[in-house]
Amino acid sequence: MTLRQPENPATKDGGAPSGVRGWWNRNQRLLIPYIFIAPNVVVFAVFMFLPILLAFYISLNEWTLIGFPTFVGLSNYLDMLEDSEFWRAFYNTGVYTVGTVPTSIALGLAVAVGLNRKLPGRTLLRSIFFVPVIISLVAVALIAAWIFNDNYGIINAALSAVGIGDVPWLSSARWAMTSLIIATLWIRLGFNMVIYLAALQSIPTELYDAARVDGASGWRRFRHITWPLLGPTTFLLVIINIIYSLHVFDLIYVMTGGGPGFSTTVLVQYIYQMAFTEGQMGYASAIGVVLYLLLLIITVFQWRVTRQSENV
Amino acid sequence: MSEGRGTSRLWTRREFLATSAGVGAGLVLLGGCGGGAGGGAGSGSGQLTFQTWASTSGEQKGFRGLVQRFEKENPDASIKLEIVPGEQQYTKLDTRLAAGEGPDLARMQYQAIGRYSSQGALVDLSEYLDGDEASAFTPAFWQAVQYEDTPYALPHHTDTFAVFYNTGMFDKLGIEVPKSLDQSWTWDEFIQVAEQIKGEGVAKYPFAMNWQTAGAAYRWMSFLHQHGGQLLNNDLSGPMIDDSAGIETIAWNQSWFQNDLVPPSTSIKSTELIESLFANETIAMMLQGDWLIPYLVDSMKADWGVTYMIQDVEMASDMGGNAVGVTRDSENPELAAEFVKFIASEEQMAQFCVDAQFIPVRKSLVKQGLDYSMRPKEMTVFVEQSETVPETMAAEQTIPKFNEINQVLADELELAFKEGQSPEKTAKNIASETKEILG
Repeated sequence: MTLRQPENPATKDGGAPSGVRGWWNRNQRLLIPYIFIAPNVVVFAVFMFLPILLAFYISLNEWTLIGFPTFVGLSNYLDMLEDSEFWRAFYNTGVYTVGTVPTSIALGLAVAVGLNRKLPGRTLLRSIFFVPVIISLVAVALIAAWIFNDNYGIINAALSAVGIGDVPWLSSARWAMTSLIIATLWIRLGFNMVIYLAALQSIPTELYDAARVDGASGWRRFRHITWPLLGPTTFLLVIINIIYSLHVFDLIYVMTGGGPGFSTTVLVQYIYQMAFTEGQMGYASAIGVVLYLLLLIITVFQWRVTRQSENV
Repeated sequence: MSEGRGTSRLWTRREFLATSAGVGAGLVLLGGCGGGAGGGAGSGSGQLTFQTWASTSGEQKGFRGLVQRFEKENPDASIKLEIVPGEQQYTKLDTRLAAGEGPDLARMQYQAIGRYSSQGALVDLSEYLDGDEASAFTPAFWQAVQYEDTPYALPHHTDTFAVFYNTGMFDKLGIEVPKSLDQSWTWDEFIQVAEQIKGEGVAKYPFAMNWQTAGAAYRWMSFLHQHGGQLLNNDLSGPMIDDSAGIETIAWNQSWFQNDLVPPSTSIKSTELIESLFANETIAMMLQGDWLIPYLVDSMKADWGVTYMIQDVEMASDMGGNAVGVTRDSENPELAAEFVKFIASEEQMAQFCVDAQFIPVRKSLVKQGLDYSMRPKEMTVFVEQSETVPETMAAEQTIPKFNEINQVLADELELAFKEGQSPEKTAKNIASETKEILG
């Protein structure tokens, strides 16, 4: 059978089709993919891209939400440089990020490696570790606030029972951040574990067998096979965890309210305070823009570093 | 390349899938757009939305009762009660106003009115009122709903602070509580009682003050006024807190933390619920509001009582409570104003206050007393105490930019209580930032 041009009802004489129908026929293969992604792109544009642009614009204004915006140029950004509370929030966010990202990834990896072998009750254990991820953050924060409560929390009750005194988990500047980090690790561990588990299972077992035959110990197998092959996964998790940490709000707001003092006030809470408590949407948007640029820089930097190491 | 069979059909399978995907996307977008517009306008001439919070079951009962009774008296009217969590009330209100879809009616604390009235978010109620309101309401609260001498809301109720105490512990220590308002404990007497409790070790900490979280920092001002101080000068144009009265008050509150009289977790920027500490007997006394009575009745096993708020050179207690106003987005401000007048009327205010365990703000009701079903003896203490709310404090707390000053109070007092910032520096910082805010 020979191939022949499909008959086009629009032009009975069999010549080249014309008009919209013709244009569609010629270009449909090119256009159909765009039509399929169109809903997603539109939603993304309206709910993410547009608000980001608006935030840039609002950051150049002063606006209370109830009234009308007044243009003030870059003065919000200049005020930020001199705002000691902003720098404190910035510092706290950094401390929180450094405290949660490497630790939660390391713990997630450790648990993933541990649960990657055939263990009895393996599925149950994996579920137990993952459940915190799907619980509402506010619910976790409330319960954590009770557990860590100085006066009637379970942890202090247990410590007292073994003779160690009360620890001011939430009421001392030194311990408040630690409590938050511990609560966060409990939540993040499961997520990192699941991602690592998936990646671990894609590592061919022959590599391990070959290494074992060559006499490599468990640690050397990990260091020379597992760890390098998990590189892209680790990169992904570092980015995701950094983004989560820079965005933290609910957990801290419910557990400590940003106190004591300013010791646990983080950037997003400061933005919330500025926007809704003090009615300074312009300034809050400016801080939001700074946070956005920070994340952008971190992501680009990470990406570059990983690309270089892949090329080597 | 095979295009499949049936190329003589009008549409190929591919074309069909592509077109329906596009149409589907279009419908989703249209549906999304259409849903948003429905919020503000009522479907008939008598429909109103009322956004409020109701943190206790008593408050919920109170509000639902008001709505039901109003709808009974006005059969053509219907009110949609939108109850939101307390922390969300203002955020939600602000965003709705920004979108031009504000509710017809909104409840707000007296301290919040200034921000909305000064920016035109509330409707001037004078044309709907009868003119005798000024003399009917307790002065501090009528003052609180004014902006530039115009009423933008009607006072609905108040709640105030007094001293709750654990009767078992007090009996054990033989402590006697003041029997009348003028005999309420002075600052020194109060600290003496606290030191006695601490010395005998009957409770982990003597007492705590409910000024958590940052939004409630203004409650500190009761102590300032008790000590004869003021946050702002008499014409509200500049700070006065950095005088000796202000500094001494800060020093006195700071000493609570330095001397272990209060749990370290009960500073301002904390999420500690001191009523839980009182209920589980960690603290022997608490400086707390009457709206926690239902919680204690439900959750506290030990016996407790209430005595008058402490005093110093003057008496002053917290200006709690809320008013209700009509927002600028209301399409039926007349009906909305009718509802506001209804709930602020004598009979309705009395019923609501009894349901929700609040204190009325009409002079007549304060005088006659209300028939509270829960702990009436204790409520009498609060009703008496409500008359000690200073008018000067009411004026200070209702200026338009008070929310910004409140945050300054929260930040600086927190540093004084938790990080040992000196009272002088604290007062100076509050004064200079207040000056900047007032412009």
